[in-house]
Amino acid sequence: MGDQPIWITFIVTLIIMLVLLLGMAYTTWVERKILARFQDRLGPTRTGPAGLLQPLADAVKLMGKEDLVPRGADRKMFLWAPMISFVAAVLSVSVIPFGGTVEIFGQSVNLFIADLNVGALFLLAAGSIGTYGIILAGMSSGNRYSLLGGLRGGAQVISYELVLGFSLVGIFLISGSMSLGDIVAQQKQTIGIGPFEIQNWFILSQPLAFVLFMIGAVAENNRAPFDLPEAESELIAGHMTEYSSFRFALFYLGEYIAILIMCLFASTLFLGGTAGPGADRFWGLGILWLVLKVVAFFFFYVWLRATLPRFRFDQLMGLAWKVLIPLALVNVLLTAFFRLLANGQVF
Amino acid sequence: MSWDVIFFFVLAAGTLVGGIATVAAENPVHSAVGLLVSFINIAGIFVMLGSEFLAVLQIIVYTGAVLVLILFVVMLIDPENLPAFYVAQPLQRYVSLLLGLVLLLEIGAAIITRTAMEAIGPHSPAWIESAGGNIQAIGQVLFSEYALALEIASLVLGVGVIGAVVLGVPERLGRMAGLEKATISLGHSRGLNPQLPAGHKFETPMDIPAERYDVPEGPRRVIMTKSADEYKHPGETAQGTRR
Repeated sequence: MGDQPIWITFIVTLIIMLVLLLGMAYTTWVERKILARFQDRLGPTRTGPAGLLQPLADAVKLMGKEDLVPRGADRKMFLWAPMISFVAAVLSVSVIPFGGTVEIFGQSVNLFIADLNVGALFLLAAGSIGTYGIILAGMSSGNRYSLLGGLRGGAQVISYELVLGFSLVGIFLISGSMSLGDIVAQQKQTIGIGPFEIQNWFILSQPLAFVLFMIGAVAENNRAPFDLPEAESELIAGHMTEYSSFRFALFYLGEYIAILIMCLFASTLFLGGTAGPGADRFWGLGILWLVLKVVAFFFFYVWLRATLPRFRFDQLMGLAWKVLIPLALVNVLLTAFFRLLANGQVF
Repeated sequence: MSWDVIFFFVLAAGTLVGGIATVAAENPVHSAVGLLVSFINIAGIFVMLGSEFLAVLQIIVYTGAVLVLILFVVMLIDPENLPAFYVAQPLQRYVSLLLGLVLLLEIGAAIITRTAMEAIGPHSPAWIESAGGNIQAIGQVLFSEYALALEIASLVLGVGVIGAVVLGVPERLGRMAGLEKATISLGHSRGLNPQLPAGHKFETPMDIPAERYDVPEGPRRVIMTKSADEYKHPGETAQGTRR
């Protein structure tokens, strides 16, 4: 974690942001293709080979549309809400470690933007600011459907953020740190199972937390089966109903970037981040492993969307408060107990 | 002027602008947004003081939970139905002024005793370093020195939670305590015609003959009784005979 001149930080940030935006465009393509396969269709095929240019075509189309503001809308807030959503999503990539400090052309470069000592909490905080995009959009649109979508979004995100936060406590207890860099380093220790030496990823010691985290992450991203705020069969598009043109695209961008961040976050916390065969020798392989893990998580997201029907709102809240949060508390208690046992502080 | 000072003044100005907007905005939702701006700038000041943990907590707890709940309340009321929001009662005005002055004096006293009289507290940067960082330092102090205050705070929060539950499920609690007062039904099974016999329980609208729906013109009445069959039309006695 050496110091580096600020211009290198700027270059690394620029590259990460560009890759994130491009990656977001192609997650929509990947999602449409996979979803089409699940539903026995082909998905986009016309634009470019295998529909690969479809995201670009969508972006050009959206920018060409008229930017409408409804007459009953609270104009200023209506215009600002999508930006809150987008900025909060992009902001949270700054604490994800893509590797340690490496030598590139004789310069030592940190493969992360910032290694905060509260990195994991920073991600949760950015997520909670992103909620304001949904709530303010819902309330400023001057549309009942939007208002209902905003209310649902707010209530859902508050509840599931608790689930996310509690599922992380176990990891903090084991690793003794909230910095994502430290958490990745902690998972490099190996344990022996029979003749094999495997890395002690937190999914092995915290399986319950992993399940809770994934459920919470899907709900936090407002994805099916928890996509209540934009349930099209009841609310048209929820908080996005009145948006058009690039403001709609900003919501879309924010949503998919938040999904990518959650996938990165889950890989970092539970699957050892950049760890994998050969990652210690060459940092590029580490990034490749991280990308592969993110793709696997994203496939899981799409798989869920294609498989499960949507929850009812009372079921959604009941699940969070009556099942997931008590389970998460049990997990915290058990982890704390075994931690003390390992330290020899019990009995 | 170093960058630190410039950043501090930017953040402090943001906090003040947010605070003034909270008080001065006509629309309660704009007030809430002003408070949001204020909170985020305060988190920025915490980061400049080197306490990232407090900054993140400030955002998660205050902007992520408390302010969202305030927004919920504000969103669901129509500001035109709420003249009291804009014009406070004289008593409220004077009491809030007094409380504000007391708070200002308190903060001023804290600043003066800590800086002018050079009585710096025991939690110096060196002490935090020796504790192993911000998070560890806060944890140690909170669960040893201030353990009693923490427990009292959690007791208060517990009372709040129980209160919310009591408010949230009055029907079920009432049924358990045998205190259930009334059920509200907009359409009685007999309609508004007392001549008809009381319908059997769990009667669905499908089973009710059409002539029972002789509801007169005008708004429907809200009928409050213990159960639908105990409802008596005006002039009807318990035995079902008309006076």
